[in-house]
Amino acid sequence: MSDPLLRVEDLHKSYGDETVLRGIDFELERGDVEILSGPSGSGKSTLLRCVNRLTEPDSGTIYLDGERVSGAGTDVNELRRQVGMVFQDFNLFLHLTAAENITLGLRRVKGLGKAEARERAMEHLDRVGLADQAGSYPAELSGGQKQRVGIARALAMDPKLMLFDEPTSALDPELVGEVTSVMRELADEGMTMLVVTHEMGFAREAASRMMFLDQGQIVERGPPEQLFQHPEQARTAEFLQRITQLHGGEST
Amino acid sequence: MAVELTPVAAPLQGGLVDAASRFFLDNPDWGYVWSNRDAILDATVVTVQLTFVSIVLGFLIGLPAGVAEVYAPAWLRVPVETVGVVVRAVPILVILIYMFYVFSVSSSPFIAATFALGLRSGAYQSQIFRGAIQSVGEGQMEAARSVGMSKLEAIVYVIVPQSLRRSIPGFQNEFTIVLKDTSIAIILGVTELLGTAEDLFLQQNRTGTALELILAISLVYFVLTVTTNRGLEFAGDYFGVPTGENA
Ligand SMILES: Nc1ncnc2c1ncn2[C@@H]1O[C@H](COP(=O)(O)OP(=O)(O)OP(=O)(O)O)[C@@H](O)[C@H]1O
Ligand SMILES: [Mg+2]
Repeated sequence: MSDPLLRVEDLHKSYGDETVLRGIDFELERGDVEILSGPSGSGKSTLLRCVNRLTEPDSGTIYLDGERVSGAGTDVNELRRQVGMVFQDFNLFLHLTAAENITLGLRRVKGLGKAEARERAMEHLDRVGLADQAGSYPAELSGGQKQRVGIARALAMDPKLMLFDEPTSALDPELVGEVTSVMRELADEGMTMLVVTHEMGFAREAASRMMFLDQGQIVERGPPEQLFQHPEQARTAEFLQRITQLHGGEST
Repeated sequence: MAVELTPVAAPLQGGLVDAASRFFLDNPDWGYVWSNRDAILDATVVTVQLTFVSIVLGFLIGLPAGVAEVYAPAWLRVPVETVGVVVRAVPILVILIYMFYVFSVSSSPFIAATFALGLRSGAYQSQIFRGAIQSVGEGQMEAARSVGMSKLEAIVYVIVPQSLRRSIPGFQNEFTIVLKDTSIAIILGVTELLGTAEDLFLQQNRTGTALELILAISLVYFVLTVTTNRGLEFAGDYFGVPTGENA
C-alpha cells in the first residue's frame, strides 16, 4: 500500500513534428492536490489528457494505484472509470438534464438501476449545491452551475483521482468562486486532484504541490509557497509573477 | 414534332391550353372523381404505405451509414461512402428498374419499389445524419468517454440522440421527396395515387377527366406533405430540449 496513487514515467507525446511532452515523470500520493501550471502551449492539457488516455501517449507508462493502466492489454474504459475529468468548457450532455447528466454514466458504466442512479445523482447535486436544479437542462444553467454539474458528474462515478483542465477559465469572474469553493471542499475531503488552473488563490490555499511545465518538461516542482517565493528557475518566477498579477493571489 | 407520350400523360396531350380551356370554360367533371373516391382513398393508403416503409428502411440504412461515415475505421467507412455516392448518382427510376428487373429483389412490385425508394432514401438520409453528427461538438464524445463509456455507448446514448434532433429539418425535406417519388412505382403497376388516377381515366375510357383526376391526387400529395411536415415539427418541439452554445 506504499504505492503512490498515480505514477507517470517518461511520458512522451508528439503531434507530427511538434513534440509536446518530452519525458514527464511524477507521482501523486493519495490526497495530494497538485497544481499544473505553465504557459500556453506548454503541454498542460496534453499531459492531463494522457493520464486518462483521452490522448494516447506515444511512450511512457502510467500506474494507477499500483496497476499499469497504459500500453497494450490495458482497458481504457476501466482506467477512466477510476479517473474523473472536468473540462474547461463543461461538456455537459446537452440533451440531458443536470440529474440525467449524472445518471447516464452511473447506469451505463456502473450498471446501477434507475432509482439507485437517481438517488446517487441527487446526492452529488446536493453536494455541489444544485439539488434544486436537477431538472434543468445545461442551456438553462449559468456557467458556474454547469461546471458544478460537471464536477458532480465526475464525482458520482466514485473516482480515485480527479483531473481538472482549467475548470474556471470559461467563467465570468464573479462565478469563479462557487466552483473553486466546491474544489476546495473536495480537497479537504481528501480527494487526489491534478488541476490545471491560473487561479493562484486556489493554488495557495488548497494545493499540496505545484509543478511548472514549460515546453513539454517539468521545470520545477514543489510546495506552492516555495514556487511563489523562492522559485529556482527564472522562467517559473517570471510566469508566476505574471499570472499572479492577472488572477490574483488573494482568494475569494 | 410528334412526341410519343407515355400512357399517363397522353390524355393531357393537346397541351395546357386545351385542357385548361375545357376545365375552366366548360364544366369540370368532378362527379367522376367523387364517385371514385374509394379507389383514390385506397391509393392514398398505398402511397402512405410506400412512403412509410421506404422512409423506415431508409432510416435503418441511413442512420448507421451516417454514423459509420463519421466514426467507423476506413475499412468500413470507405465502402459505405462509396455505395452512398453511387446510389445518389443514379436516377430513382433507374434504381427501380435495377431492383425489379435486374436484381429481382422481389416479385412484388410494391416490395421492389420500397427497396428502391428505401435504398435511395438511405443514401440521402446518411448525409442528413452525417451532417447532424458532425455538428455535435467533439466535447460531447470526450465527456462520454471520460466517464468510461465505450465509443459505441457514447454514440448510442449521447451523439445519436443529439443528432436526431438536429436532423429534423433535413428529414422533413427527405420525407417530402420520398412521398412524391412513390409515384414512380406506377411503372411497375403499383396502384398508388398516380397509377390509380391513370387507371381511372384510361381503363374506363374517361380520358376527358384526366386533368380533374391529376388535380385531385395533387391535392392529396399536398395535404400529406403539409401534415407530415407539421407532425415532424411537433415531434421536434416535443422531444426538443433547450440548447445553447458552450453548455
Ligand atoms: N490534437 C492536437 N493536434 C495537434 N496539435 C495539438 C493537439 N493538441 C495539442 N496540440 C499542440 O500541442 C501543444 C500543447 O498543447 P496543450 O493544449 O497541451 O497546451 P496547454 O499547455 O494546455 O495550453 P493552454 O494553456 O493554451 O491550454 C500546442 O502547441 C498545441 O498546438
Ligand atoms: Mg490547455
